[in-house]
Amino acid sequence: MSVSVQQKKICMLGGFSVGKTSLVKRYVESVFSETYLTTVGVKIDKKTVTLGDKTVHLILWDLAGEDDMASLRMSYMRGSAGYVLVADGTRSATLEVALSLRKRVEAEYGPLPFALLINKNDLREQWTITDDDLEKLRTDGWWVRTSSARTGEGVEDAFTDLATRVAR
Amino acid sequence: MSSSAADKLEWLFKPAAEDSGIDRKTLAGLLVELARAVEPKSAPESVSIHDPRLKELRTLLVGHEIEVLGRLQEVVEDPEQLGQAVGRVLPTAVAASDSRLGEVLAPALEKATASSIRNDPRALIDILYPVIVPAIRRSVGEKVDTTFQSLDETLRQSLTWRGLRWRFEAWRTGRTFAEVVLNHSLVYQVEHAFLIHNHTGLLISHVAAADAASQDPQLVSSMLTAIQDFVKDSFKGEGGQGVDTLRLGDLRLWCEPGQYAMLVAVIRGNPPEELRHKLRDTLNHIHEERRQILETFDGDSSGLADIEAHLSECAALRQQGFNTRKKGFPWYVFALAMLILAGLAGVGVWQYQVMQQEAQEQARIAAEEAHQRALEAERRATELKHWSDYIDRLQAQPGLVVTEVAERDGKFIVSGLRDPLAADPLAILRQTEVDPARVVSRWQPYQSLEPEFVLKRLEASLAPPPSVTLTIVDGRIIATGMATPLWISRARQMSRLMPAGGPQFDYSRVQDLAEGLLGDLRKSIQAYEIRFDTNESLPAPGQDSTLDHLAASINELTGLAASLRMRARIRLTGHSDDTGPGTYNLSLSIARAGAVLALLKKRGVAADLITIGGAGQLDPLDQHNSDNARTLNRRVSVAVRIEDEP
Repeated sequence: MSVSVQQKKICMLGGFSVGKTSLVKRYVESVFSETYLTTVGVKIDKKTVTLGDKTVHLILWDLAGEDDMASLRMSYMRGSAGYVLVADGTRSATLEVALSLRKRVEAEYGPLPFALLINKNDLREQWTITDDDLEKLRTDGWWVRTSSARTGEGVEDAFTDLATRVAR
Repeated sequence: MSSSAADKLEWLFKPAAEDSGIDRKTLAGLLVELARAVEPKSAPESVSIHDPRLKELRTLLVGHEIEVLGRLQEVVEDPEQLGQAVGRVLPTAVAASDSRLGEVLAPALEKATASSIRNDPRALIDILYPVIVPAIRRSVGEKVDTTFQSLDETLRQSLTWRGLRWRFEAWRTGRTFAEVVLNHSLVYQVEHAFLIHNHTGLLISHVAAADAASQDPQLVSSMLTAIQDFVKDSFKGEGGQGVDTLRLGDLRLWCEPGQYAMLVAVIRGNPPEELRHKLRDTLNHIHEERRQILETFDGDSSGLADIEAHLSECAALRQQGFNTRKKGFPWYVFALAMLILAGLAGVGVWQYQVMQQEAQEQARIAAEEAHQRALEAERRATELKHWSDYIDRLQAQPGLVVTEVAERDGKFIVSGLRDPLAADPLAILRQTEVDPARVVSRWQPYQSLEPEFVLKRLEASLAPPPSVTLTIVDGRIIATGMATPLWISRARQMSRLMPAGGPQFDYSRVQDLAEGLLGDLRKSIQAYEIRFDTNESLPAPGQDSTLDHLAASINELTGLAASLRMRARIRLTGHSDDTGPGTYNLSLSIARAGAVLALLKKRGVAADLITIGGAGQLDPLDQHNSDNARTLNRRVSVAVRIEDEP
């Protein structure tokens, strides 16, 4: 049986301090330090997902989170097969940021598979993003999960789902 | 004939561009046929072009075409309209034309371009500038990089052990040091080759050399892409250019951008610029062969073995000798150092021996030279001694006054005064050891007042007879002996002429020959008188003994004079008395002298010493007029004269 090996570029997008980096840290192969984020503005990690006889290497471009949309280097998005939007459940503004990021990406690169993770589920009591908000997004056809960098909740699911959608 | 008429009308009936397809030639023929049918006789053989009916007919038949032709003519003759018309169709015509158009136009275009450039080169420069400048910049940049790299290596290596080894190699192989340095300096190894998809930054293929370590190539390739993007975004790289070189220590990343993929080589060492050309060739090759795959690459790397093979060629690129730096203890350096030390020691010993020999040789030469110098000094001393002796001898010589002695230009010079009677300096010189050739003598004549020279000059001028001796006594010249009164008188004159300050000349001790024994003898001989009788020419009887004594005395005198180197001259003079005539008496007196001469000769007297003469009666002994007196006056007298020997 021939094993198909694919690589897919996936960008991690989200506002400042939403926990993108922490979220993936435990689940990815990483060789570059986080200082890359502040220097080059991007850090590359890899997440390997096995889908039956397919192996998909998700090459994760962790882009430096900025609330200032203008400063986001959209060029880093070039060639992405999909992306992961991350918002901080305790700060509803980060969801707005995520939504506007999605719009910019869509405007520039067209519709791409993406997953929205509302992070910091372990601080659920502090959340300002309501379940209604999420439901509304889901009804729009969005793939939305809550996640926690501490528990790892939602992370594997998000990558597996995204890999399924981007892999041929 | 109808056909000819139709022919003449033919120019009218050429089909127009928008002809509806009517066969006008047939129509014209029909018209002529029709005319004949109406009136065969008058039917025209042909139709004149000036026939107004024809014009009408033509208007009827081809009016539309004439109008079209008129419009066309107008367009053709008006340059502006023609230009517009041609301009409308030219693009289409050019597009539809085959390659010949290019061939036809090329020379004209070339001329026009050349002319344009001549007129205004600026325009061409403006056109080419954006194209050429980046190309030139890049080419020059690469060249300068290579040069600096070489220079850097050369400087870095020139004084190290390796540099020395390379110098040896250059010497051994006859190449220039620069060539050898370049050859070794550009030691490199391509450790990794990444082919990275431009659009996604995903890794298409990766090959690593054996024992090359690196991080996950997929991550690396994406990160490289990110960095490329970062640099482009941050610094607005010109013409979309990204980073082409990254360097970390002796590790370099060379990025060759391609249309769809970028080739990144990770090189350890110092790659030559040629390597970049190889990478570019490989990348071009991959693009040519797998353009489709590269263009549509979506992360699936399966089935790209050929690309991997190309990359493997890149990763195999290395310059031999790269690994030498990993060796342990440098035994060859140690051995070489030992060899050099041994060589140096050998050279040192050899050098020492050579120096010893040279020193000995120099010492020998020095001794030889010292010996030569000593010999020379000795010879010189001897020479000077001889010279000095010669001068001493000269100075000791009477009549020689040395006024200057010098040595110039290898010549001995002596100057002075020389009395002509003094010894010859050259004769003296020949008696010495001095080389006459080296002597220059300058002698001025003078008269010395030294007694010896005065004596010599006196001897030369006075010519003293053997009976006289000149001697020097206490600085005075004294003459002794006997001399004639004449010589004595000359000596007297000479003594008065002696130079003042010189020795005195004393001739007082010279005895006058007229005195003394010779004088006595002379007196006794002159006392003899030979007597004669009257008118007789022979001596009177009894005179024989007188003649004998006279002869003996004369012989004694001449003998004595001869012993004194003098000569005695005898004169016999005959006399007569005063009787008889004088002339007779004169001849009688001469005859009487002749008779005595003969008688003396008879008695052994040398006749050549005797002269005879006659005085007649003029020299009487007794002037009295008496017989006694006349007897005394008949005689022959004898006179003696002593003179120096001729």
